Amino acid sequence: MALSSRTLEPADRIYFMLAALIGGVLLVYFALVPFLGGNIAFHFYLMLWITMASAFNVAAGFAGYLPFGYVAFYGVGAFTTAILVKKAAVPIFLALPLAGVAGLVLALLFAPTLRLSGIYFGIVNLALAGVCRLTITNLPDWLTGGSFGLQLGSRAEPVHSFYVMMAVMVAALATILWLARSRLGKALRATRDDPDAADMMGVNVPRIRLYGWLISAAFPAICGGVEAWYTNVVDTETAFNTLTTAKTVIYAVAGGLGTVTGPVVGAVAMVWLDELIWRRFPLLNLLILGVATVALVLFLPRGIVGTLLRRKPQWRRYVP
Amino acid sequence: MNVAIETRALAKRFGGLVALDGVDLKVAAGETLGIIGVNGAGKTTLMNCICGLYRPDAGDVFVAGEQVTGQPPHVVAHRGVGRTFQVPRVFRKMSLIDNLLVPVLDRRASDAELIGRAEAMLERMRLIELRHNHAEELSGGQQKLLEMARMLMPDPSIILLDEPFAGVHPLLCKFMIDRIEEMARAGKAVLLISHDLTSIYRLSARVVALNQGRIIAEGGVDAIRDNPAVIEAYLGM
Repeated sequence: MALSSRTLEPADRIYFMLAALIGGVLLVYFALVPFLGGNIAFHFYLMLWITMASAFNVAAGFAGYLPFGYVAFYGVGAFTTAILVKKAAVPIFLALPLAGVAGLVLALLFAPTLRLSGIYFGIVNLALAGVCRLTITNLPDWLTGGSFGLQLGSRAEPVHSFYVMMAVMVAALATILWLARSRLGKALRATRDDPDAADMMGVNVPRIRLYGWLISAAFPAICGGVEAWYTNVVDTETAFNTLTTAKTVIYAVAGGLGTVTGPVVGAVAMVWLDELIWRRFPLLNLLILGVATVALVLFLPRGIVGTLLRRKPQWRRYVP
Repeated sequence: MNVAIETRALAKRFGGLVALDGVDLKVAAGETLGIIGVNGAGKTTLMNCICGLYRPDAGDVFVAGEQVTGQPPHVVAHRGVGRTFQVPRVFRKMSLIDNLLVPVLDRRASDAELIGRAEAMLERMRLIELRHNHAEELSGGQQKLLEMARMLMPDPSIILLDEPFAGVHPLLCKFMIDRIEEMARAGKAVLLISHDLTSIYRLSARVVALNQGRIIAEGGVDAIRDNPAVIEAYLGM
């Protein structure tokens, strides 16, 4: 499952140059935010949504699943981090990878549902996210903090968590860039388009789907952990908020599923739009954002990048 | 006779419907066996049981002498079984090149080598100019050719062709017939389902006629053409 080892064609060169350019611009821009007195909170969440939408893209855009309970990974990652730091005095830099591991374990527990498809998978996944939330809610208060939640207890370090979020975003984008060109990515897209045909072409469909599912689960779990560190508090109400799934889906779809840049463009555009509406129309924020989302889906059903590539199919080879 | 595919007493039911009822057949390497029958005779079900998509209710399937009954399709594919479909099942949102790479993704060969082979295959199928297009952008006939190219990529020894000529322009049919003849000459066992009896009679020295899941006639082209049971099943007279 390696990247192409052949001599790069001109189109491939442009593809990787464009990927490096977009990645470089994002990296420099975000790295300078704390130094230039930028809004750390806004940019922290922008990176978080880019990561969430990109990881969701692996499940939805590459593998063809719509996990409506995607927030489960985020919530479990947040609580794993909080419990490890607060109750077991585990250092945060060890707790965050363990949050990713918790996401992987949860993905393995959910794996039998990968036999389902379409709306049935989405509904079952949504129900399982509810089960996760109820399970954590019913754990002893001394462990989860009950309805008050858990305070990590450490001094909030927004700049540290900001740069860790940046590292997680870079790791997620690098993983998805690799996936898009890898043999695993091709196998995943084949199972998305026609699982039976892929199976008859020699693709081990359950195994390939599981790999994609695991990649898609690890990053939101780490995001949940980093956000817990950033805000210094975790409670079930916010950690398992269905709005997290809704925003992730909207941002990914707005940019265009199935491409590397789509969810990045979608998250950047929609988070900026959300911020703009929030500043100008604080009371009508959700209403206007809802109308904008409906308009986007109606007029650009394939998302911004997806529609562009639909109209300019000759660009497909160049746009990551 | 070097038997490539063999089914023994193969049976498959869908609820109360008997789709296959004790089908015994053998296909030798280098042979093209034609399967004919009216709609619902069990032709595609037979193919689906051979390639592992359906688990038979009874009977066995052997590929090159090894039993593959009930094995998942990807395992059967790795035993050298390739197939095409009645309605093309291409990977719609993938390029033609990527479509061709799917059956060989687990090969040890380098990507460069595999892409070179895929391009040569597309050249042979006269699709090379479209190699970066998405498969959904091809016409129905071109999708049939793409399926055939994709099936040939891993160089299977057994080929299952389900209605390859359905809805295809006569000129393209001629082109496909030439390719199928090439496959048989290369020593591959070909199981060919078609309603186009002219093509079946041209390509197959031996033909099996199915009706209601049973073999009602088997033999050479002339014998099948004049067989009263086949005439009755086809023409109802």
